[in-house]
Amino acid sequence: MRAIVALLWLLFPASLVAQAADPPAVLVSRQAAETLHLSVGSVVQVGPPDGSGARDFRVAGIYEPTPDPSRLGNAIYAVRLHLPDLLAMTSPPDAPKGAESVDAINVRLVPGSDPLAFSRDVNARLPGLAARPATDAGAAAGPFRVLERFHLAIAIVTIIASTVFLVALTVMLVDERRETVGVLRLIGLPTSRVLVQVLLEGILVAGVGSVFGLALSLVSEGLINRFFQWRYDTALLFVQVTPSVALTCVLIAVPLGVSATVLASWLLLRRNALRLARR
Amino acid sequence: MTVLPFAWRSLVRQPARTSLGVLGVAAVGALLFDMLMLSDGLIVSMRDLLERTGFDIRVTASGDLRRAGDRMHDTSATLDAIRRLPQVSTALAIRFVEAEADVHASTNPVPEGATGTIALTLEGVQGDTRPWTVVTGRDPVGNQEVVVSQALADTAHVGLGADLVVRARCAARDQVLPPARLQVVGIAEFPFELVGDPTAGGPMNVLDDACAGPTDEADVILASARDDVDATAAAVRDAHPQLNVATNEQVLGRLQRNGFTYFRQISAVLTVVTLAFALLLITVLLTVSVNQRLGEIAALRALGFSRGRVVADVLCESVLIVGLGGLISLPLGAALARGLDSILKTMPGIPGQMYFFVLEPATLGQHGALLTVTAVVAALYPMQIVARLPIAATLRDEVLS
Repeated sequence: MRAIVALLWLLFPASLVAQAADPPAVLVSRQAAETLHLSVGSVVQVGPPDGSGARDFRVAGIYEPTPDPSRLGNAIYAVRLHLPDLLAMTSPPDAPKGAESVDAINVRLVPGSDPLAFSRDVNARLPGLAARPATDAGAAAGPFRVLERFHLAIAIVTIIASTVFLVALTVMLVDERRETVGVLRLIGLPTSRVLVQVLLEGILVAGVGSVFGLALSLVSEGLINRFFQWRYDTALLFVQVTPSVALTCVLIAVPLGVSATVLASWLLLRRNALRLARR
Repeated sequence: MTVLPFAWRSLVRQPARTSLGVLGVAAVGALLFDMLMLSDGLIVSMRDLLERTGFDIRVTASGDLRRAGDRMHDTSATLDAIRRLPQVSTALAIRFVEAEADVHASTNPVPEGATGTIALTLEGVQGDTRPWTVVTGRDPVGNQEVVVSQALADTAHVGLGADLVVRARCAARDQVLPPARLQVVGIAEFPFELVGDPTAGGPMNVLDDACAGPTDEADVILASARDDVDATAAAVRDAHPQLNVATNEQVLGRLQRNGFTYFRQISAVLTVVTLAFALLLITVLLTVSVNQRLGEIAALRALGFSRGRVVADVLCESVLIVGLGGLISLPLGAALARGLDSILKTMPGIPGQMYFFVLEPATLGQHGALLTVTAVVAALYPMQIVARLPIAATLRDEVLS
């Protein structure tokens, strides 16, 4: 069992401490290792902020902290050590055996178990403890749910602006082809036939546009993630183009593009064929 | 006819196209306006809140924002020492504890169905002044007296003179102490009251009673300087090197670097995207429009319109579309900002009186400047087409077609 020690604990690099005979092992977060120039095998002193009870530890590994959205912008300086080592440092010397305390216990259930039923059982059997399924422990995700709604609102505004843009563009493009459409009508093609042609064109253009848009988003996904990961020194993914996101985009973009094209064409085709051909 | 009215007539001739262009710019401009308001909104709003409290310096144990960090001990001695500093005008210590109140446990008449438990923050104050502004009623002076925020008054259905029965959690989140019966003597405005976390405040001894005993602890000590804020902060720091002392500017700087940086980044990204979008929209609109009127423009040149004049005409069309769209975007953006703000305000830990989107005179200037640049840049390519238009060849092609 390992415990995480917060950044409030003191860390001294190997050069500052005397080498112990066989110090116990700790894992050091990447950020702490970079700042303190630590590497595997270094000996560090870990202790509470007041320095009391500090002990030597050997760095057994450097780990990437689990990305935590609620700690965005804060470098995670942490070490992980065996719980008995932590308790040995923090418990008063005269503390009776069994008086140690921990903040939380993580439990992995056997496959097929019901986490909710288990937590109810623990709550009933052990008064004073609060057990809850890991899926309910996401209070820190609250701000990100809000941001999700904010981004959705921004996306809706962007879609509205894009729709206006698209309609303006199709109106102009269709208007440019009014003479061609007029001639097609004059040689006998019914309005529905012209509209089908426009529809097929619209599907083709919207499809190609969507593919291009997806390709652009895949390229920008990497750029944005790299920038923000560098900016916040985190392994968090800020943008992720998942298949469902891509599908949603296509399902919005293609019908929107086709509808705009057909609408603009229909407005044009309502006119008299002679007027369309400017005769 | 001067250039602007002429450009106006060119646009009016194609109302559908022009309307769509203006609407597109309005939608994009509204988003741009909001992003500009968002970029500094939180900082401006936070500065306003900090200034409204009337204190210049915050003293905490660990430098964290309230409730996130450790508490200060020996508060009375520390507070007295800070107040004795010649540079300090006033100082007060505040301690926050989480509490809950049963609406039905109150003796007040409660509307039917309005029962249940509500979570609140109990704020104990020790010092010269108060961190709240009493709106109705009076400041609490007695042992059991508190002022409550309007949000708490509404949620708990308590008014002046009513009883508020609270159970405080002073030492730990799962601690529940025996209920304490408090009397509401005023409704007050708490500048840093969080959304969904109503507040009651009173003298520190009220909090001590609710916590079943004095602890002489505080989350924060607020101080105001007689003269130079930085010098006063330095004096407090020298007197109490173990504590974290920060001026309002330092608090804002810290928030700018860490807490609110995400909104600046997203605002910058979306500003660039919206501007690029607007640029593309206007360029395409003008280019297609110009391409459809090449014969007309060549005829005007043949009639004696100078090259500069027809180029200026295209530029004015761009300015008119962007100008009209930009004007419409202001009320549109303000309405959108209100909606987006209400979404973001549901984020936990945000004071109710803080706003993500804040309008400043500079924002209007930036919005106007960015749209002007967009209008000019968007017109460059169609202006080039018009400027290089061969008159005779274009007229001949027009006649042949």
